[in-house]
Amino acid sequence: MTKTRQPRSLLHENRREMISRMGSGFGGIALSALLGDFDRTAVATESVTQNVRARPPQLQPRARAVIQLFMHGGPSQVDLLDEKKELSRLSGQAPPAEVADDENRTTYLLGSPFRFSKHGESGLEFSEVLPSIARHADDIAVIRSMFTEHRNHEQAIWMANTGLIVSGRPNIGSWVAYGLGAESQNLPAYVSLPDPGGMPVDGARNWSSGWLPPVYQGTAIRSEGLPVLHLQPKAARTSEIDSGRMELLRKLNARHQEVRPGELELDARIASFELAARMQLSATDALDLNQETAATQQLYGLDNDKTRAYGKRCLMARRLVERGVRFVQIFMAGQPWDTHSNNVSGIRSCCAQTDLPIGGLLTDLKQRGLLDSTLIQWGGEFGRTPGAEQRDGNKTPGIEGRDHHPYGFSVWLAGGGIRGGQAYGATDDFGYRAITNRTQTADLHATILHQLGLDHERLTFNHNSRDERLTDVYKSHVIEPLVG
Amino acid sequence: MLAASSAVWLAVMSCASSSPDDAGQEKPKVTFEDHVLPILKTRCLKCHAGAEPAGELLLTTRREILRGGKSGPAIRVAAAESSLFWEKLTSNEMPKGGPALSAEEKGVIRTWINEGAASTNESDDDANELNPEDGQQSSEHWAFRPPVRAAVPEVQHPDRVRNPIDAFVVATLEANSLSLSPDAGREVLLRRASFDLIGLPPTPTEVREFRAAQDELAYERMIDRLLASPHYGERWARHWLDLAGYADSAGVLSEDRPLPTAFRYRDYVIRAFNNDKPYDRFLQEQLAGDELTNYWTAYETLDRLPEDVVEAVTATGYLRCAPDSSRPDFSTIKNADSQYFYPTINDTLQIVASSTMGLTLQCARCHSHKFDPIPQVEYYRMQSIFMTAYRPKQWIPQMERMVLVATAAQKKAADEQNGKVDTELARLKKELSDLRIQAKQRLLDERLAAVPEAIRSDVQLALNKSADQRSEVEKYLAEKFLAVLQPDDKTLDTLLPETFADYRTAVDERNKAITAQEQQRISFDELRALYDLPGPVVVPLLRRGDALTPGPPVDPGVVSALAAPTAFEWTQPAAAAKTSGRRLAFARWLTQPDHPLTARVMVNRIWLHHFGEGLVSTPEDFGTLGSAPSHPQLLDWLAREFVESGWSVKHIHRLIMTSTTYRQRSTAEETQLTRAREVDPDNRLLWRQRLRRIDAEPLRDAMLSVSGLLDPSMYGNSIPVARRPDGDVTIADGQNDRRRSIYVQILRGNPLTMLHAYDQPVMETNCTRRNRSTVSTQALTLLNSDAAIQYAAALADRALREAPESPSEFAFLAALSREPNAAELSEVHDFIITQQARYFSGGDPDASARHKALADLCQMLMVSNEFVYVD
Repeated sequence: MTKTRQPRSLLHENRREMISRMGSGFGGIALSALLGDFDRTAVATESVTQNVRARPPQLQPRARAVIQLFMHGGPSQVDLLDEKKELSRLSGQAPPAEVADDENRTTYLLGSPFRFSKHGESGLEFSEVLPSIARHADDIAVIRSMFTEHRNHEQAIWMANTGLIVSGRPNIGSWVAYGLGAESQNLPAYVSLPDPGGMPVDGARNWSSGWLPPVYQGTAIRSEGLPVLHLQPKAARTSEIDSGRMELLRKLNARHQEVRPGELELDARIASFELAARMQLSATDALDLNQETAATQQLYGLDNDKTRAYGKRCLMARRLVERGVRFVQIFMAGQPWDTHSNNVSGIRSCCAQTDLPIGGLLTDLKQRGLLDSTLIQWGGEFGRTPGAEQRDGNKTPGIEGRDHHPYGFSVWLAGGGIRGGQAYGATDDFGYRAITNRTQTADLHATILHQLGLDHERLTFNHNSRDERLTDVYKSHVIEPLVG
Repeated sequence: MLAASSAVWLAVMSCASSSPDDAGQEKPKVTFEDHVLPILKTRCLKCHAGAEPAGELLLTTRREILRGGKSGPAIRVAAAESSLFWEKLTSNEMPKGGPALSAEEKGVIRTWINEGAASTNESDDDANELNPEDGQQSSEHWAFRPPVRAAVPEVQHPDRVRNPIDAFVVATLEANSLSLSPDAGREVLLRRASFDLIGLPPTPTEVREFRAAQDELAYERMIDRLLASPHYGERWARHWLDLAGYADSAGVLSEDRPLPTAFRYRDYVIRAFNNDKPYDRFLQEQLAGDELTNYWTAYETLDRLPEDVVEAVTATGYLRCAPDSSRPDFSTIKNADSQYFYPTINDTLQIVASSTMGLTLQCARCHSHKFDPIPQVEYYRMQSIFMTAYRPKQWIPQMERMVLVATAAQKKAADEQNGKVDTELARLKKELSDLRIQAKQRLLDERLAAVPEAIRSDVQLALNKSADQRSEVEKYLAEKFLAVLQPDDKTLDTLLPETFADYRTAVDERNKAITAQEQQRISFDELRALYDLPGPVVVPLLRRGDALTPGPPVDPGVVSALAAPTAFEWTQPAAAAKTSGRRLAFARWLTQPDHPLTARVMVNRIWLHHFGEGLVSTPEDFGTLGSAPSHPQLLDWLAREFVESGWSVKHIHRLIMTSTTYRQRSTAEETQLTRAREVDPDNRLLWRQRLRRIDAEPLRDAMLSVSGLLDPSMYGNSIPVARRPDGDVTIADGQNDRRRSIYVQILRGNPLTMLHAYDQPVMETNCTRRNRSTVSTQALTLLNSDAAIQYAAALADRALREAPESPSEFAFLAALSREPNAAELSEVHDFIITQQARYFSGGDPDASARHKALADLCQMLMVSNEFVYVD
């Protein structure tokens, strides 16, 4: 075993290797810019890990960006993506011992009232509550054999987005920003779009960079009001006043820097103020949905009260991805998929808000030729029990709920080189436990990183003397049938 | 649909589990021997038994199954769905080559695992599994041997040597043909020392005085003044609180419950630094203050707890800093110890090891440390030191894990007294209620009497009926008279005392008596402390760090690779002992004068905060993967000096800060640069001081101080913060937003935006070294946040007030601790004139335009690199 200390470097690849490979992956202008940047940053130790300049991927990438549609609360697999005829047949009966709820929190088996049907040439099955998404069946790969390690929301959310059931680790978006940087120097590499109706469960931790440098944390952009916190002062300043201030600041900083040559941190800080000024313009432009045609707005459901809030964020996500943002997360307020009671109406409500905008996003990306390079990830932190939740004596047929369920659930991927029109893996006859092609979170992470040209085993960061990675020590693998 | 947080989910669990359908029916417990083994015998033992079982897995006993084979433990107790054995059965991968187990057989095995994998004839004692070589490690690693005071080296150019620190540094520089940079100017030294020691810039007066001081020892006096300042403790406590992982909220779950009494530990740390509490004592109190000061004896025998006992028990708040979301209802969660309690214990051990010893002990939780000589069993021996307190199987929810500042006698007296108060209060409240009923009736009678006699009885009848039984006429009457005859409670609250003077008097009397009684109630302050529970505790090694795969039990112990001359000594106390003495034994081992790590790690941290880098650049890791010290002899010399000074932190400050090495310029001459950059580009050899960005808290505190807004009051409850709809986390409305940042509430889930932007750590465990990021959100915060704009306007006010003739110069002096030079002054004046004209043409009257222009100058000064970086 070698005991040499790994440098606190970006990736397991040195600068020379990176630069030598840039010629193939990037145009001439970008190349010179990168060389310039790397020359400067190479002088200061660590600063190479402290910026979001674009850097070449480790592998041939299939996707440039990810839009993650995170479904807080845990959507019910057996009502949406994983039809279970046996569950329906035995609905109302006690479950057999091998799938009895191991915490005694559910009672009888509860079949789904929703009709499933086949879609597209592939014949992939979707529930009737996902009609718009179902139209893209041939682009979608459903993973029906996910499982996770915790039954409570927060821990399962950390698992889903940071790779372990402990808090304080970087989210996958931070890893992507760290690995690839941003294509645009006027916008962040990693953006999260929370619901104007409220924060998702676990709040700002959903886009935290954990122990990765804060430069990789997600920037929360609001879809109502001022998009970025402190982008403007509360009392507006005229551009003259503003440029007067900035000009003074430039002079003060220039004098200070003059007698402190070679202090790169000072350069970086001056640059950060310039970027802030540019962001004031670029963020405003990127998020101006009025630039979109009425037809496009309609495609996302902006003309409808039910779908507008989610549709706006889907459309913003497309505009951000177009401008070089690497990772966009769209959240719903609270955890609306947490259907402990009234599972059916809860699911209908969630679908009514999201199905049409998501279908619109897929259509729009496809017609603009962006779906090939944009990976869409849909899913929550876990699934829901096939059994009815025993709660408050609430056993009236039709309004039962389903409890949290970590042992088997479904997510789907589309675009970004994912082979659509297939279901991967399977749960047992009841949708209780993933039994075929069991897929742990680390496999999903490895696959997403792989599509972006990142090798989950080589994307490491030295934290407290340990080379950390998103997939930690799991024996994980890229899911080949999905990317084939 | 639920939009509620997990709190709701957790809350309902108790309902769910407390209403089983089969209540009353005792199901026979599934055991290995009676139910599982018969299945295994026929289906599995052909391969998984004997001398060379398949996959090295024996399925013959519970213990073997738990120990597992090549792929690890075969089951996790009470968690079938994540057990390897269950996975092999459900995927029908096993039994290999044979038909799958029947659904019934699978059901039996699954139930057996989920009900706790019971066995009828096996004890848990499998201590023979421990590797006899564990705990016999020794190491030649430099940091694991005691520091030895080196001879102070001779140097070629002794003229710059002010104390031994310089001799060590100069000797190394000379060996590399380098030399120290010249001393920095007085303004720079004052600003540097002020930020280093008290985290605030010098005031204009201090700058002027220090610049003009003729005294030969003016510099040394200045250092002494700063060391004596109460602000010193506020700055240095912050460094320690990073290591301790201090926060004012419980963390983990979104609920992030605030901890209203955590601040007492924060105040303890501030006091400890201000009083220069010997560092060995400081550690002993935090690890075992209760045992050190015989808390239980004082509790049981004295009238009141002595100050030093209270102080020492408060110090154990250190062991309560790890995130802990536990609540009483967690007792209903399946495997709550593994899911919620062990993580708190793990974090605590990580905090202890990294803050006091610079060890990455956590690596040994799941397997023996890959790089340092720390076997896995020693992790659990260390854990065992704290387990008589934590006890995952008898966990005390965090809000109930409290020590009252009271003795048994005081508690008894208080209980008696409060019992009397309660009785008296009940009596008074009953009287109040009776009085009101009487007055109400009197009001009804009087008002009824005023109703015309003709309809009086009809009205009365109507009022006595419930709403749905009234006839049309009665409905009409009720509607007309109800409000007058039987007003609602809110109306009665004012009406009755206004109407009946005697009632008013009687009520006032009772209320006064109630207030008087409430004042008689005795309550005690709560300390968020750690303490042992009596009785034995079994601490198992956890296979792969998993509480659901427990291994053999271990005894308390320490990392044996550390060559500490005095061994860890602990003997089992008498069964009736209130506390086990484990933590005190550990604290004494840790603070022995020749401990290899304790003194080295601390002096390195002090050095880090004076030079921006430690002599060991990985202060969190003194193990084999950490960096080697740049000046090993100096590090050891300082460590010895630290111990021999009586572990005085202030002594080390004074030594460092009076050295020439510390006093150097951070800027360099061009000629010096070329040579030094070639030899030592990172300035590891210290040929100059380092330009350093100030941390988040000093940045905010400096803006408050410079603008004249700072409220210097110390200690007390943390100042609440609030998240605004736009996501900005600020001081809550109506709360004091002018106090130093160390007093601002630290919610793990909602860090103050301005501090968080400048890398105040989010306390997930602890922070052993601050990040120093440069991102554009920092710029936006300083340019556009309400707070930054407020500070700028206040500095403008202050400048106009204190220097009406030359406010710009004053602002410069206040913000940057120096006067502007001629070129800067003319630039600033040009700016003011132009900017003032812009405001004026925008419609501002003259005075307002001038003030706004000056405020813009003030803000840009506080935003500038010179403000944020200290030379």
